[in-house]
Amino acid sequence: MNCKKVSRLLSIYQDRELTSALERQVEFHLRDCHACRSEWDGLQELVGSLKCLPPPASDPYFPTKVMAGLQDNRARKFRLLPAIAYALIFLTMFLSGFFLQLSYNNTMGAEKPKAATFTAVLLENQDLGLLAVHDNTLALFER
Amino acid sequence: MSDDEIVTAVLAGRRQDFEILVRRYSGKIIHFITRMTQDRDEAQSISQEVFLKIFQNLPYYRKENNFSAFIFKIAKNMTLNWLNREKRTVLFSRLLGREFNKAPFRQEPPRVSPQDQKERESEISRNLLLLAEEQRLALILKVYLEFSYKQIREITGWSIPKIETLISRAKSRLKKNILLQERSREVVYTARKK
Repeated sequence: MNCKKVSRLLSIYQDRELTSALERQVEFHLRDCHACRSEWDGLQELVGSLKCLPPPASDPYFPTKVMAGLQDNRARKFRLLPAIAYALIFLTMFLSGFFLQLSYNNTMGAEKPKAATFTAVLLENQDLGLLAVHDNTLALFER
Repeated sequence: MSDDEIVTAVLAGRRQDFEILVRRYSGKIIHFITRMTQDRDEAQSISQEVFLKIFQNLPYYRKENNFSAFIFKIAKNMTLNWLNREKRTVLFSRLLGREFNKAPFRQEPPRVSPQDQKERESEISRNLLLLAEEQRLALILKVYLEFSYKQIREITGWSIPKIETLISRAKSRLKKNILLQERSREVVYTARKK
């Protein structure tokens, strides 16, 4: 294995992700090659200094805060329920008012033309006539 | 009690059992987010949101998958979203000509020699922030969380060769930056002595 290949594999070797066969080859090369050995030492020093960063101090109340957050989240949902109910009631009232008004207008408005449309038909050889009012009401009348 | 058993219990209505998962994973999640953002306060609040999101997404967790990968995937997505929002805020502030005073994104490298551990730590943190986001993510998952490449693949969805390349480049870039900073400090130190 040459230096170029070893240099490419050093980081993976450091992460212990090489196959054991490749690992042995890298180790063998590092034993003999001064340049690669110094590159390896540099990498080790770097990761060592990265690891010197301590993990952040743990907050003992963190789990309690998370669980309280879960409750808040749930409570927030329930807090919305009355608002949704009020909105639905208002919408229902508004729509029913609107439709009542619409049907009232239709009823009132329909009477006007109906008053003007009636037909009277005299039945043949009879003293009776047939009166159709609003096209849907039939009545008999005497001549 | 295994993770899967706890998930089953929570989904069956025992919400309080979720606290066991929070206790089990909060350290790692906060550590991961702190390293990604380099902002401890924000990391705490993002972590809380992450756990709320995990709770909401529990019904979508498939037991054949790794639970750790499932939660880190959520943590990764939320952290990247936060970082993108921060970037946009910085950009808008610059466009508006305002000085943006959020610490992690504008700290200059120190001009004095690091004398104690804290300075050394903040120098490493700054250098981590200088890495491209994907490189930083891969490196943090490997070095600090000690995930295997396969686990990183589960969390990120990247291929193994991509993960290898990202980590390798991240290390080279860090090495180069740290070396450059050390040299510049030496130059300043020598000039001051003269």
